[in-house]
Amino acid sequence: MTPTDAIYVYGAVLKGTPADVFARVSGIDPATEIRLVEGGDVAAITSVVSLEEFGSQVLEAKLRDPDWLEQKVQAHNTVLAAALGETTVLPFRFGAIYNGEEHVRAMLSERAELAPALSRLNGALELGVKGFLDGAAVRDRLSRSRGIDSGDATGGRAYMERKRLEQQLDDDVRAFATSCAEASHERLSAAASEARANPPQYQSDAAREMLLNGAYLVRADREDDFRRTVQGLEERFGDDGVTYELTGPWPPYNFVDGEEAEAP
Amino acid sequence: MSSASPALQQQVTLIELVDRVLNKGVTLTGDITLSVADVDLVYVGLRVLLASVGTLERLGGEPS
Repeated sequence: MTPTDAIYVYGAVLKGTPADVFARVSGIDPATEIRLVEGGDVAAITSVVSLEEFGSQVLEAKLRDPDWLEQKVQAHNTVLAAALGETTVLPFRFGAIYNGEEHVRAMLSERAELAPALSRLNGALELGVKGFLDGAAVRDRLSRSRGIDSGDATGGRAYMERKRLEQQLDDDVRAFATSCAEASHERLSAAASEARANPPQYQSDAAREMLLNGAYLVRADREDDFRRTVQGLEERFGDDGVTYELTGPWPPYNFVDGEEAEAP
Repeated sequence: MSSASPALQQQVTLIELVDRVLNKGVTLTGDITLSVADVDLVYVGLRVLLASVGTLERLGGEPS
């Protein structure tokens, strides 16, 4: 290290983890290798970065460069993902930078919760599942199944009746979305060790309303079961206009602490 | 699982990745702090996210 260098921390593993786990990946600066820095009962996954790239003055500008950020975010994940299936890894959020190894060791010793968090994760993977609803398709289906025609009946009474039916349909689509989201999350949670229902994100495409934004902590030997559960949901709800996107395995970013997230 | 095209799938994964790496994981005192409007993060993608990356509070080195 030179005075213009700093230490980037990706996450933590248990003390005694062989450094070989990370031998095949390079650091967030591709010219550097990964080093484990031990402190307390854990070890930080680190590499050297230059303050010319990661110093506070330059970093703000760098973060606004999409190509730079994408590359660095990918690199951060690649390092942590090298541990998947090998050992338990506790991911840190992007951007933990220290002035030297002694500061990293001090942080590890102070953070008594890191070792229990690693024990809790116990080698598990994170899988992401998002569910999307084509609301218009559901509405059409419900409408057809009730024989509601959007015909040209005129007159106040027919108009009021149609308004009432339309309102009823809207309510039914909402009720379907809620029950589908709950049923999906429940079945996925049952196939996982822990589950988080993150808030659904707004979609600009109305035919793709997000109804589920879940993260699931899954033991490596149960990953296939979990994938089959997602397939089962597609079979169950696919005809109702619901699609699922499964991503991962990820390092367990959503499970770094034991708090239960809010309901879907 | 999804019938999305490979290009779309790749896009989805990048969005998932950015959401996790920037928004989740253990946070430490002494980190840089990114304030990101969470709602905007995922559906609009990386470029808009960057427009909403706010202040960078301080660079670490002093965990205590």
